[in-house]
Amino acid sequence: MTRKKTLLMAALAAAALIVIYLFLVNHAPIKLRRLALTGVMLGCIYGLIALGYSLIYKASGLMSFVQGDIMTIGAFLGLTFFTFFRGLFGTGEEGESNVGTFILSVLLTTAFAFLFGILLEKGTIRKLLNKNVMAIYVVLATIAISYIIQNGAQIIWGGIPLPVPSVFTVLFVQVIGVRIQPEMVLCVILSAGCMIMLHFFMTRTRMGTSLRAAAMDAKAAEACGIDVSLSTGLTWGMAAGLAAIAGILVGPIYGVYTMLGANIGRKGFSAAVIGGYGNMYGAMLGGIILGLAETFVAGYASSTLKNLIAYILLIAFLFIKPTGIFNERAIQDV
Amino acid sequence: MRLPIPERGGRGNAVAVMAALAAALLLPAALTFFFGNDYPVFICCFILIYIVAVSGLDIVFGYSGQISLGHAAFYAMGAYGSGLLVNFLDFPIIPAMLAASILAAAIGALLAWPASKLVFHFLSLSTIAFGEIVYQIITHSPGKITGDFIGLRSEFVNLFGYLLDRPGKFYYLALALTALFLLAKTYIVDSKVGRAFLAIRENTHAADGMGINVRKYKIVAFTISAFYTSFAGAMYMHMVGYASPDTALQKQSVLFLTMLLFGGTGTLLGPIFGVVTVMLLVEALRDFQDYQVFIYGILMLIVIVALPGGLYGACKDVFHRLADKPGAMGGEETGDAA
Amino acid sequence: MLLEARNVTIRFGGLVAVNHADVSVQPGRITGLIGPNGAGKTTFFNCISGVYKIDEGEVVFAGRRIDGLRGFQINEAGISRTYQVINLFRKMNVLDNVMVGMHSRLRQSFWASLFHSPGQRSEERTALAKARDMLKFVGLERKAGYPAGNLSYGEQRLLEIVRGLASDPQLILLDEPAAGMNSGEKAQLDVLLKRILGTGVTILMIEHDMKLMMGVADYIYVLNYGSILAHGEPAEIQRNPDVITAYLGGD
Repeated sequence: MTRKKTLLMAALAAAALIVIYLFLVNHAPIKLRRLALTGVMLGCIYGLIALGYSLIYKASGLMSFVQGDIMTIGAFLGLTFFTFFRGLFGTGEEGESNVGTFILSVLLTTAFAFLFGILLEKGTIRKLLNKNVMAIYVVLATIAISYIIQNGAQIIWGGIPLPVPSVFTVLFVQVIGVRIQPEMVLCVILSAGCMIMLHFFMTRTRMGTSLRAAAMDAKAAEACGIDVSLSTGLTWGMAAGLAAIAGILVGPIYGVYTMLGANIGRKGFSAAVIGGYGNMYGAMLGGIILGLAETFVAGYASSTLKNLIAYILLIAFLFIKPTGIFNERAIQDV
Repeated sequence: MRLPIPERGGRGNAVAVMAALAAALLLPAALTFFFGNDYPVFICCFILIYIVAVSGLDIVFGYSGQISLGHAAFYAMGAYGSGLLVNFLDFPIIPAMLAASILAAAIGALLAWPASKLVFHFLSLSTIAFGEIVYQIITHSPGKITGDFIGLRSEFVNLFGYLLDRPGKFYYLALALTALFLLAKTYIVDSKVGRAFLAIRENTHAADGMGINVRKYKIVAFTISAFYTSFAGAMYMHMVGYASPDTALQKQSVLFLTMLLFGGTGTLLGPIFGVVTVMLLVEALRDFQDYQVFIYGILMLIVIVALPGGLYGACKDVFHRLADKPGAMGGEETGDAA
Repeated sequence: MLLEARNVTIRFGGLVAVNHADVSVQPGRITGLIGPNGAGKTTFFNCISGVYKIDEGEVVFAGRRIDGLRGFQINEAGISRTYQVINLFRKMNVLDNVMVGMHSRLRQSFWASLFHSPGQRSEERTALAKARDMLKFVGLERKAGYPAGNLSYGEQRLLEIVRGLASDPQLILLDEPAAGMNSGEKAQLDVLLKRILGTGVTILMIEHDMKLMMGVADYIYVLNYGSILAHGEPAEIQRNPDVITAYLGGD
């Protein structure tokens, strides 16, 4: 995309957001406003997961089914860090602000997940690819690892959701006239922050350019002196980091439980397809569309349909527009 | 590294087939005598049913190289479809089983259509999504006709006035049907169609260049596969006389995939090996129910990393090494020398 | 003319990979396509064989428009091809690779295959015998049972050619058939090409080995930066100053 086009699109998106905001504030009933806010929040989570899928697809041409499980691990790890630091730095009283410790936990969890992602790529995926295993088996390997982590988490932590202590002193904040948990605002801000940082990292830094080059044409990038193996590893690490962030952000809102990541991870595929599988911006947009669709269906239709809408959208997009909103063509075969 | 070479046809030695058949015929009597109850025969019936289901999965995965993560949906559609046709439309059972499987296969063809234009990963996504949708429909059916979370009861097979209400009786029908399905599989695989599947699995671009309509054959493979697995589901329904919504769970799809991978893909015997060993393993580890998926994951990983031919491939290797004759892959060492 | 590519153009983003190229292939001859690396030769093949959809121009084969058809339809129409990067079905054996090549000529229906009808069985027997004959044609009959991936590089090139011939094409596109062959194999390739021509198959071929190309080709097109730079008989091409600059000065 050219610079001009990007700016134009950003401007259009901003204008649309302002219009939607004005509409919500002035005309929309309270229920609609609440659903819109929850939808955006949930959408950010889906977006982060889908972003990981897209990064991995671009870098390795593979689908990874481990994202959701890394999210689960991230949620539990985040909770563990958070409780630990609260005990260490805070007084442990109700109504105490824990923003600092929370951010610290986020950073630590992300770092761990980042390492995990690199290890996953270097230890399993790369090894298999070097052995000339067919791509289909490499994808299966990620599925196998996903089952192992899923069931492993079940064995370790059991099936009961764990509550996460609140991060802020206040229990509610007012946004466009709706009282919501402040953690939801934090979730949206941090996700948007991740997205913006990722955008600038990918387009403005040397490292990001190398990553994109390696993803586009591994052989050519290698010829230009880019360490493709390192780039691929880093990409998997970043994808894992994003998944873990999603996990830790969602914890204070939904609680932490072992099937958390599996469900969101599976639905995240839908977000990736909606936006255009393999496209960074599409992933985030697809996530938000999916989040809104889910909350609105839950609010105005039924909860059964809410559980299905992600899958219905996924299949519908494969039928009608498999390349997604951003028309990502990398997924087409003969 | 040794990778499985998909097998096609060949005149299997008739003696081995006859011996296997004789053993299969005598098995229920022997097991009932030995254990004193017919639970082992019940397990044998399940083994036969799963052989049909997993052989079907093999056609789509082992031969045409596409991943399906939602074959449980077809298993459940066969079971519920056949049960509903019998219960509500008074179909005779065998036609109901066929009709349900044909319907499920048609839905399978429709589902495979969009994914056929895309890289192989995308079939796994649409099948996951489809599996979830089928599960939700079964557990939240209009008018609760599927019995929602309780499950659906239906009838036992009545063969010319002879009611197959015990596993010991159903076993022989299942054996005949399984043999039929396996024979059909060898026939399909040993033809222009089977070669087209393999070519697609090996290299879609070259397959296209050789005049193979890749999209069409991807859909054909998935449709056949859906038919097999749905029919297995219908067999299950009328063996037990009941189907539970658990059949549509992802866990069931994982079980099929594990059996296939562990046994060996792209062969006639691989799925049989896989079903038997994994079934026995599951029975032996009944006390570790909570660890089941964990074990499936480990088994899959072992196969992918260390045993690419699955159990069957490994057995064949050992056999060839003992017999000291070059196997199908024997050319590997000498291939470049000449 | 057996094949007429007129004004063929394809663009990838801003890059024009093939630019208004006109190429004609006369039946019963070997037509060569040469040019520096990255000139767009393989892309041109991909335009004809249906891998890419062309943006402008038309391709007429035996009097019929074939641009816009998909790859397998072009094979059915009578154009077969080999690949620059070897694209065999590596884990299938050599014989089966040839049998796959016959795909578009086998009449058996799905149901005939499912029931192994007598017609299907006799067709399979005939096909098998023909496949063995074709392997003999290039001297690979003793490797029939080997997985294709286990053959030597030169043998794999030969197998690609046989697999392409298996569909009884009128025209075969050979993309660098001599790449990776040793000098002995190259010398045999020379003879093989003539023998293929003798069976009534026309050849359009890309080749970097100039000695081979000038020896066998009846007519040569030179592609440079996606455009046809020159065309003519080998002797004319060798004298053409533009071609000489493109090879020595360019790239």
